[in-house]
Amino acid sequence: MVRNIKAGLALVAVSCAVALSACNPAANTQSGPATNGGTGGGGGFSKTLSGTLKTSGFNPSDEVGKARGDYATKQVAPVTVSMDTTNFDPQKFAAQAASGNVPDLIQVDRSTVDTLADKGLIIPLDQCFSTWGVSPSEYYYPAAIKDVTYNGHVYGVPQFFQASIIIGNKSVMGPAGVTMADLDTSKPDQLIQVAKKMTKQSGGKPTQLGFSPDLPGSSALWLAVFGGKPNDSNGKPTLDDPKNVEALTWMKSIMDAQGGYAKVKSFMDTFDTFGDKNEYVQNQAGAMTWAQWYINVLSSTKDNVKLQATTIKDTSGSVIGFAGGTAFAIPKASKNPSAACAWAVKVTSLDAWMAAGSARAATVAQKHSIMTGLFTGSPVADKAIRDKFVKPSGNADFDQLIATSYDALQHTVSFGGSPVGQQISDALTNAVTVTLTGEKTPQEALKEAQDTAMRAYSQSNLGKNG
Amino acid sequence: MARPRRSPEVQGIRTRKYNPRESLAGYLFISPWIAGLLIFTVISMGWSLVLSFQHFDLSTNIGTPAGFDNYRQIFADPKVGTSLRNTFFYALLAVPLDITVALLLALLLRGVRWGSGLFRTIYYLPKMSPSVATAAVFLLLLNGNEGAINKALGLLHIPGPQWLVDPAWVKPAIVLMSLWGVGGSMVILLAALQGVPPELYEAAAVDGAGRRAQFFRITLPLISPTLFFLVIVNTIGALQVFDQAFLLFYRDGNSNAPDAALFYGVYLYQQAFQQFNFGEAAAMAWVLFVIIMIITVIQITIGNKLVFYEGSSR
Repeated sequence: MVRNIKAGLALVAVSCAVALSACNPAANTQSGPATNGGTGGGGGFSKTLSGTLKTSGFNPSDEVGKARGDYATKQVAPVTVSMDTTNFDPQKFAAQAASGNVPDLIQVDRSTVDTLADKGLIIPLDQCFSTWGVSPSEYYYPAAIKDVTYNGHVYGVPQFFQASIIIGNKSVMGPAGVTMADLDTSKPDQLIQVAKKMTKQSGGKPTQLGFSPDLPGSSALWLAVFGGKPNDSNGKPTLDDPKNVEALTWMKSIMDAQGGYAKVKSFMDTFDTFGDKNEYVQNQAGAMTWAQWYINVLSSTKDNVKLQATTIKDTSGSVIGFAGGTAFAIPKASKNPSAACAWAVKVTSLDAWMAAGSARAATVAQKHSIMTGLFTGSPVADKAIRDKFVKPSGNADFDQLIATSYDALQHTVSFGGSPVGQQISDALTNAVTVTLTGEKTPQEALKEAQDTAMRAYSQSNLGKNG
Repeated sequence: MARPRRSPEVQGIRTRKYNPRESLAGYLFISPWIAGLLIFTVISMGWSLVLSFQHFDLSTNIGTPAGFDNYRQIFADPKVGTSLRNTFFYALLAVPLDITVALLLALLLRGVRWGSGLFRTIYYLPKMSPSVATAAVFLLLLNGNEGAINKALGLLHIPGPQWLVDPAWVKPAIVLMSLWGVGGSMVILLAALQGVPPELYEAAAVDGAGRRAQFFRITLPLISPTLFFLVIVNTIGALQVFDQAFLLFYRDGNSNAPDAALFYGVYLYQQAFQQFNFGEAAAMAWVLFVIIMIITVIQITIGNKLVFYEGSSR
């Protein structure tokens, strides 16, 4: 009996350990046939289109996406377009890459583009742009193009550039004696005092937040405010830069001034961010850092909020138009790179965006809402949409918010891409989190983040080649 | 003295001839499982081991020899140490708690005469609920300011912690979420409890043994093989913890979680599918495999000295 139990337990142990390794994602990676780059290769793009196009990540869930998608699909006829509308999933993509059955076109976060380029998983698009007569540096925001440039080549077709601004709640600011001029990010120490002034607590927990710098989500933005940067122009991590340490020390101070990150985060997690009882309606926040798209969300409660916005400035007083966003990229093993190129260029074209603007304007008219603009990744399209569709709404607060968003676009900035962009972003986010939760000091956290990012960088092809 | 004759049944078994056709049928019946084991486990494990000694290039599907580079990399990575410490801490907390709560529930259910099936179902239902749904509920329950758990603690004048943000409370929060699925262990223990012969309790009661003595002298020894089984299986499960931590803290694919929430399985996943370092990820999997093997062998060695097996000399 003892022997049987022993054998049984040993079997269980071995089985579980075997199952562990069997579930190891890496274990299945080599099971597919070698792809050797597929037909995409170096990017032989043609204007003669045929076959099918499989896209991944683009989701025409609203009228803007639908109008753009429909326009682009019409333009690439007779190509049949099929869409996997789920977000880009690296795990799924890795499995697809290993089996040689990748989508022809993927939509990914811009910080991922250089990583995929460094791994040789996507192809440069310089020839794609020239095939369709598009000058990337002129048609798209230079900052967006910088994000997707690796080793001198453009690897992504940018879409969306929604710069961050500060949206103040006049219903909270007024009683606290705070004006928009006080929310001046070029004076970070003053901002801490302003945040404190607008914060209210009950039983040691915040009931009204003074100022949200959107942490850790917008950490990189605050590095820029302090003149810091997560990586240099070659993509090499610079997370332990003294200016970054200064920025992170400030992030910790402003959170502590409002009760500490843990309590602030728990409080913010209760916000009805997208609902009719959002934090501005409920006066739960004095001022917050938001990308432009949130103005559109707030417009559904336009009659219940009193708002004012301002741009974000660095400590020297210069406006910073800082934004993330997505881009289209073509996998190396794409079976139809020409159609992928054509569709990506067409879906970000002026005509596609104008179709989207028209669709959004119709929706806005139907809902008696406000046209807050579309922020496209292209200054050409942004201007055209603003000129044609963005008119005075009759709500001075929202008109000011919209004008502020467009102001920010005049001053776009980018740190540039990095072959380890995602790892740098993750390491920075982690450093900010562990500092705000008190696990580490800013110096310790950023030193560890730098080590982590450098370890990844040294394994990248760019890092290996100096 | 003449040796006793064997019973006809025993004789029948010993003299039964090997039947190749029957064996073939048996093998055919289990062949789908064997094929699955070979393809999805044995061969995959083999590839994983090979991969752990390679620098694997996803764009070409070609691995170049790396020697022990991947293993050196993971031992030089402080996050591997952090994630291992977190995982051990979680296992030390989760396994005893899970078994204790499961045993308490099983003891309660054993005493239920009316509607026991209903209660068994109710307690087992959480085990059936998808992890994603459970995580969504626990995100609300564990909110430090407005969560139901802290509200309940507040009624008792106990200030609740910031479960999901305070590094000191992150792992207990995940353990709490794990206890949601305690029904699995409970059902196994309930079966073991029902296997304890009632006459033993009757005899003990006649001898003047109280409930406490009956529990420690009869119940615990007789269900010790089941407890031992649960300790081993739950330890292995705890060391592989992934979904609870991932869903509570890494569901958006970002890293805005405290280091206290970084578990080995999560970091392995990040290495493979966020950084595409498949060689390192494979090496991490094999290191965990070895750790689990060592812990299991130690548990078996110790367990065999403590566990009471019916019919054994101990």
